[in-house]
Amino acid sequence: MILNTVIYGNVTFLDIIVAVIILLVALFIAKAISIYLRRFLKEKVAKEHLEIIIKVVFYIIIIIAVLAILPTIGVRLSGLLVAGGIAGLAVGFASQSIIGNLISGIFLIIERPIKIGNSVNIDGIAGIVEDIRIISTTIRTFDGLYVRVPNQKVFTADITNFVANVARRFEYVVGVRYSDDADKALEIIKSIIEEHPLALQNPAPQVFVDNLGDSSVNIIVRIWAPATEWLEVKTELLWKIKKALETGGIEIPFPQRVVWFANELRSRDIETGLPGPDSP
Amino acid sequence: MGGIMFGYYDIPFRIIEKGISLSIDKEGENLLYRREYGVEKVEKILLGSNGKILINPIEPVTKPKELTPYLLIELDRTLVVEPKGTKKIFVTFPIEIGVFIRKGEDSTILDTFTLMKQKFTLYGDPRSGFICRYFTSSVYSVIPSVDRVHEGVIELNITNTTTGWIEVTKAMFNAYGMKIYYSDNLVSMRANMKVKSSQIAENDFDDSPLEVEMKKSVELFSTRKLSITTTKSIMELGI
Repeated sequence: MILNTVIYGNVTFLDIIVAVIILLVALFIAKAISIYLRRFLKEKVAKEHLEIIIKVVFYIIIIIAVLAILPTIGVRLSGLLVAGGIAGLAVGFASQSIIGNLISGIFLIIERPIKIGNSVNIDGIAGIVEDIRIISTTIRTFDGLYVRVPNQKVFTADITNFVANVARRFEYVVGVRYSDDADKALEIIKSIIEEHPLALQNPAPQVFVDNLGDSSVNIIVRIWAPATEWLEVKTELLWKIKKALETGGIEIPFPQRVVWFANELRSRDIETGLPGPDSP
Repeated sequence: MGGIMFGYYDIPFRIIEKGISLSIDKEGENLLYRREYGVEKVEKILLGSNGKILINPIEPVTKPKELTPYLLIELDRTLVVEPKGTKKIFVTFPIEIGVFIRKGEDSTILDTFTLMKQKFTLYGDPRSGFICRYFTSSVYSVIPSVDRVHEGVIELNITNTTTGWIEVTKAMFNAYGMKIYYSDNLVSMRANMKVKSSQIAENDFDDSPLEVEMKKSVELFSTRKLSITTTKSIMELGI
C-alpha cells in the first residue's frame, strides 16, 4: 500500500499524513482559542496587550504541536533535548527575570488591579499609572517623576489603588475649647459639609464628639467624597471648617497645661516684698 | 416666574435678571462673552463675528463638575406601587442652563450654569455603586408650578411588573437619555420606571413634550457626538 511506502529512514507516507493532520488540528485549535480569547478578553484588556497575549498563546500551541510531531517524522527529541536542555538552561538563567516580568505582566493585564490613569501606591511608589506594558509598568509620581516598575515587582507588591472604588472617606479631628459650646460646633461643621457639593449626601457624613482631650474637646469629622475628588474636598473643607468655627466664636485651642506650684505663696510674698509665714 | 427666557438670541445681546448678567458684545473684530452670577465670572473671546446664541435647559449633571451622567432624585415621601400596576406621578429636577453658539447647523457649548444648590451622592456601595448628582423632590399628582429657571418637571410613569406591592423611594436617571423640552413657563421630561423587583428597576425617557407647543432643548450630551452604549439606567442596588 502507498501509505506504508517508506519515504526516508523509518518514516512512511502515513507518518507524514499524520504529522500534517496533527499540525492542521493544532492550527485549528490555536485559531479557535485565539478567537475565544479575543472575545473573552475584549472588554478586560487593552487592544495592544490583547494582541500580544493572543500571539503568545497561538505560538505556544503551535510549538507544542511541532514538538509532538517531530518523533513521527523521524526527528529524535532525545538528542535535541540534551542540546536544547543545556541551551535552555543558559537561556533560562539569562531570561529568568524577563519571563517572570512577562508572565506577571500578562496576569496584571488580565486581573487588572490597576488601570492607566489610576492613582496608586505600589510598594511605596505613589503616583498615577501612565502605562501598563507587557514587561513593566510606568508611574508618574505626584511630584512629576517617571518611575518604571518591573511587572514582577508590581505583581508581588502590595498595591493600593486610590480610585478603584468610586467613593472614599477621609477624616479630621477638630479640637475646640472646653469653654466652647460643642453642640454649636457640631452644627457649624455639619452646615459647612452640607454646603459643599462634593461632600457626598450618602454615605452620610459623621460629626461627633469623640473624646475629651488634655487641651480640647475633640470632634471627629468623617466625610465621603468621590474618589477622584477627595483630596480637593479634604483640603477645601478643613480650612472652611476652621474659618466657620472662628466666625461662630469657637476657637481651636493650643495645647495647654496648668502648673501648680507647691510654694506658690512664698513666690507671691517675694514678689510683693512681704514676709511670708515661713520667713524667720 | 420671569428670569432668563430660553431660546435664540441675536448677537450682540445682554440679559440682566435675578442676579445673573449674561452678554455678548463686539470687541474689535471679535465677540466677548461674559457671564456673572454671584462670585462666579466667566469670560470668553469668540474669534468670529456672527452666529446665534441659544440658551436652553440642559442635562442637570454638569455643575460644579461633570463627574457622572447620573441624576438621583430622592422622593420626600415613599411611594408604594400596587402589583402589576402603572401609575403616573410628577417630580421635579434641578435646572442647568446651557449657552450654545450656533452657526449653520453646528451648535457648540459656550457655558453652563445653574441657580440651584448642587450636591452629589453615592447610589449603592463604594465598590459597585455610582456617583450621582443628588436632588430631593416632592411627589405630585398633577404638574406642579415651579420656577422654570430653577426646577423642571418629570412625568414619571412607574410600572410595577411584580406580583407584590413595591416601595419606591428614589429614581436614578441617565443623562445620556434625557429628552428635555421647554416653553415660556415649564421645563419638562417624560420618564418611565419599570420596577422588576423590590431592588431592581429600569429607567428611561420618552422623546415627547409634556404640553403642546413645547420646544426641544439642544442637549449637551447630544452635541458631543459620542458613541453611547446605553441611554437607560438600571437600578440594581435598591429603589
